[in-house]
Amino acid sequence: MKANAIEIRGLTKHFPTFTLGPLDLTVPRGAIYGFIGPNGAGKTTTIDLIFGMGRNDSGEIRVLGYDHRASEVDLKRRAAYVGPDLNFQVWGTVVRTVRFVRGFYPDWDNDYCVRLMKAFRLSSADKIATLSFGARTKLSLLLALARRPQVLILDEPTTGLDAVTKQEVFSELLKAVEDGERTVLISSHGLSDIERFADHVGMIKDGKLLLEGRMDEVVDRFRMAEFFTDNGVELPHHEGLIIVRREQNRWHALLDQKLGVHDWLREHGGKQISLTRVTLEDMFVALVKEEEAV
Amino acid sequence: MSSEPRPLLIGPISPAADGALYQQIVDRLKREISEGRLKPGAPLPSFRQLAEDVLVSVITVKRAYEELEREGIIYRRQGLGTFVSEHGHNRSCEAKLKAAEDLLRAGFREAAEAGLKPQEILDLAREIAKGRK
Repeated sequence: MKANAIEIRGLTKHFPTFTLGPLDLTVPRGAIYGFIGPNGAGKTTTIDLIFGMGRNDSGEIRVLGYDHRASEVDLKRRAAYVGPDLNFQVWGTVVRTVRFVRGFYPDWDNDYCVRLMKAFRLSSADKIATLSFGARTKLSLLLALARRPQVLILDEPTTGLDAVTKQEVFSELLKAVEDGERTVLISSHGLSDIERFADHVGMIKDGKLLLEGRMDEVVDRFRMAEFFTDNGVELPHHEGLIIVRREQNRWHALLDQKLGVHDWLREHGGKQISLTRVTLEDMFVALVKEEEAV
Repeated sequence: MSSEPRPLLIGPISPAADGALYQQIVDRLKREISEGRLKPGAPLPSFRQLAEDVLVSVITVKRAYEELEREGIIYRRQGLGTFVSEHGHNRSCEAKLKAAEDLLRAGFREAAEAGLKPQEILDLAREIAKGRK
């Protein structure tokens, strides 16, 4: 059994207006893990804590078995981070940026770097000041990938990228995990991309984990249900049934098949129940709204 | 990591097409096998390679391979890879026949719901078979 790439257990961090956790996350080795949640759910806070930006109040973070505080250097040698800060201006050109960054990393793979430059359509002589937003994003990804990290953590890397650029990025991420050893954790609001490219998914809301698991199993667990009731029927709150919409006796709801809600619904007056497969996005919207309604 | 382009094995996979992504991979591979472009004994790419080629997650391809293995269309040899099985061709023809049956059944149901009598449905089917409709 391979060790997990990232294990977070009982992580908490209190802020004046927000509390993260207690949070458990398990990112298997060799996977692309989609870390999703609405704005302000705590994704960036979690990622920052992994890399020692801010101190957690309690709990444990292990990356490749290395404790994030006791073995900070070992962790940082093997894990790379790409965040929304894309300011490479001081180096002037792409080649000078690459030269500066590679000096820090003994495992820097120059052949890979050259190949990535081609795949990302970047050239050494490009001036940083004239690079598009997408090209700057690709440059920052290139700088992280060419280090050959065991674990790559990306915070919103595809926000604002056009469809072509996004596909180039995901294509390289799939290649990066090809050996089954390297792991990518990616936080994103691009749910259709995450559904297509991520093997595992973890969804948080208000600092807590709502669900986690294999992408296909998580998505397949839920169905959008349409059903009818007799006039005036009220349904009690029931775990695993999230009412999305209701017009008199016609209902739309997200249904968790794992909890046997289908039978419960029939027993409580649901008629003509029809179930439709959902996308990650359908699921996400229903789950986030339910939390708000409570 | 190789950057050599591999030959295209299957058609494009898209969320806009029918069925889950893994099911589309299953269907495309069955088609390659039943139409003889992939012969018995032919090696299949690793699921990580195929994932790269068709731009889907590794888990999606893994699930497709598991499905094909369960149906006896492909088999896995530890350490060697995945191959089209000896009966892969027959099995995928059987699977296609089964799918055709299901579609016909659905078509007959729709036609009946539209008010056609059994004989009229058969006439319609004959017209379609002759390519007139």
